Amino acid sequence: MRLKGAILLIFLWYLVSAITELPHPHEVAETFFILLFNSEPVLGKTLVQHAAASLLRVLTASLLAFSIAIPLGIVSALNRTLAEVVTPMVEALRPIPPLAWIPLAYVIFAPLPNTVQVSQIFIVFVGAFFPCFVSVFDYSRNVPEELLEMARVFKAPERLILRDVVLPHSLQGVLSGIRIGLGVGWMSIIAAEMIATSGEGLGYFILVMYEVGGRTAEIVAGMAMIGVIGYLMNTLLLKAERLVMPWR
Amino acid sequence: MKRLVAIAVTLAILLAGCQQAEVGEGKIKVVTMSPRDMVEQLKLGGIDAFVAWEPFVSEAVVNGNGKIIATSADIWPNHPCCVVATTEKDDRELVTAIVWAHVKATRFINNPDNREKVIEYAMEFTGKSREVVDEAMKRIKFIEYPDEEEFVKYFENLKRGGYLKKSVKELGYESEDDFFQDFLYKDVYDYVNSKLAENESWVPEKVNKTVRVGYLTADLHQLAFYVAMKEGYYSQVGLLVEAKEFANGVMEMEGFKNGEIEVGYLGGAPATLKRVNDDVRISIIAGANSEGSAIVAKDASSIEELAGKKVAIPGFGTVQDFLLRMVAEKAGLEITT
Repeated sequence: MRLKGAILLIFLWYLVSAITELPHPHEVAETFFILLFNSEPVLGKTLVQHAAASLLRVLTASLLAFSIAIPLGIVSALNRTLAEVVTPMVEALRPIPPLAWIPLAYVIFAPLPNTVQVSQIFIVFVGAFFPCFVSVFDYSRNVPEELLEMARVFKAPERLILRDVVLPHSLQGVLSGIRIGLGVGWMSIIAAEMIATSGEGLGYFILVMYEVGGRTAEIVAGMAMIGVIGYLMNTLLLKAERLVMPWR
Repeated sequence: MKRLVAIAVTLAILLAGCQQAEVGEGKIKVVTMSPRDMVEQLKLGGIDAFVAWEPFVSEAVVNGNGKIIATSADIWPNHPCCVVATTEKDDRELVTAIVWAHVKATRFINNPDNREKVIEYAMEFTGKSREVVDEAMKRIKFIEYPDEEEFVKYFENLKRGGYLKKSVKELGYESEDDFFQDFLYKDVYDYVNSKLAENESWVPEKVNKTVRVGYLTADLHQLAFYVAMKEGYYSQVGLLVEAKEFANGVMEMEGFKNGEIEVGYLGGAPATLKRVNDDVRISIIAGANSEGSAIVAKDASSIEELAGKKVAIPGFGTVQDFLLRMVAEKAGLEITT
C-alpha cells in the first residue's frame, strides 16, 4: 500500500511539473543527492550541514521546553490549585502561533548578544512547549481515581504513588508530548530561519535559493530534507514509545 | 530492529555536522540581512561590520555606531547600483515619458542651486535626519544611465561566482551582446538626451496613462523618483503614477513577474539575477545612481582587521556581496557563510 502511495505521489508530481514550473522529481532527486554531501556554491554548505544546524537549534530549544512542560504537566495534574492557575494561562497562550512571537522576541531579546539565535530558540520553545504540556497534563490527569484511592488507603507515601501509579500512566502522555512538540518545533524553526538571517539552516537555505533565483530544484530539495528529517524524527520516537512501553 | 539502527545511524551522521566551528582565521563570516537591521545589529554587536547603501551607511556613522573603512567608490569606481527598469520596453511613448521625467529629476538633484530643496526631499523620502541625509548625499552619484562596461563586469562576476543558472542562449539570445542590447536598453535615453541637448525645455508628448511604479522603502538612491513626483514631471507628460513600495529588490522583481508594476526603481543586482535566473523580462531604461555604498565597521579600521569577524551583506549576488569579496580577495581573506 505504501509503495502505491509513493508511486501515486510521484505520478501527481510529474503531472504538476508538466503544467507548472515545478521541477520534475528526477531533477529534484539529483539535486538533493548532490547537495547532500557537496556544498552548494552560493552558501558554500551542504544540505546535511544546514539540516544539522536547524536540528541543533530545535533539539536545544525542545529540550528546554520539555524539561519545563513535563514536570509542570504532571504536577498540575495532581494539584488542583496549581491546575487552576496554570491551565487558563496555557489555554490563553496556546492558540498564538509560534511565528506570531517573532517580532516580539526580537524586541525582548534585543539587548542580548545573538538576538537572532536566542529568538529562534525561543520561538521553537513556544512551539514545542504547549503541545507537550497539554499531552502530559491530559494523560496524567486521567490516572484512574480508584488506583489513587487504593494507594492512599494503603497509606503509600506520596513519593511511591507518584513513581508507581502516576508516572507509568503519564508516560504515554510524555512520549506523545515529546513527539508532537518536536514536530511543531521543527516546523517553527524552518519558518523562523526564513524570517531572520541565521547564516545556516534549512529555512535560510531555501530563502537564499529563492532570492538568488533560478533554483527551484534546490528549493524543493531543501523542502524534501525538511520532510525526511520530520519523518525520521516521528518514526524514531514512535519506535522509542514501543520500546519504552512494550505493553501498548 | 534493523530499521531502527539504520535510522539511528542516519541521525548520527546528521548530528556529526553539528560541531559549529568558530569563524576560522583569515576568514570573514558573511550573513545576510536588510540594511535597516544592519544598523541596529551593528549597534547591538550582533555583527562586526556591514556592507550597505545609503542612507544606512551614514546613519550608522552619524549615530556613532560605526565608521567607514572603505567606500564603494574606492573599491569599484562607477559600479552599477540602482536602475530604472520596465517590462513595457516596446511602449516607446511610455518609456520616453518615464525616462524624460527621470532625467529631469536627476538633473534637478544634481543642480547645486537646488541643494536646499533636494535635502528636504531626501529627508521626506527617507524619514532620516538632516545630518544623516547631508552625509549620505556626499557619497551618492546620481546618474542618468549606468556605465555599461561596469554592468558587464558585474554580470561576469555573477557568472564566475556561479550565481547564474541559465545561459543567455537558454533565454533565447544568440550571444551575450544580443542579451545586453535588449537588457540595457539605452535607445530611449539617448533620444531623450539628444532632444534635451537641442532644447532644454523640450517635453515629450503627453501619454495620458496610468503607470504603476515600484520603488524601495527609504532608499535614498531612488530619490529621483520622489523628486519627479514632487516636481510634477510625471504630470507634465500626462502620467498618473501609482507608486508601489517594496521591501527589497527581490520582491519588486516578483511584482514585475506578477504584473503588479510596469516600471520600477530597484537595484541592478536583483534586476540582473532575476532577469537571468527566473527570466523576468525587464529591460533597464535608465540608471538611478552609481557608487553610494560602503563597508562600515564597529571597531575594525581596515579590511585586514575584519579577519575572524561577522559581516552583513544585503544578499548573495548583490553588488555589496561583490564589493566585500573584492576587498577580501585583495587582503588575502576568505569568505565563509
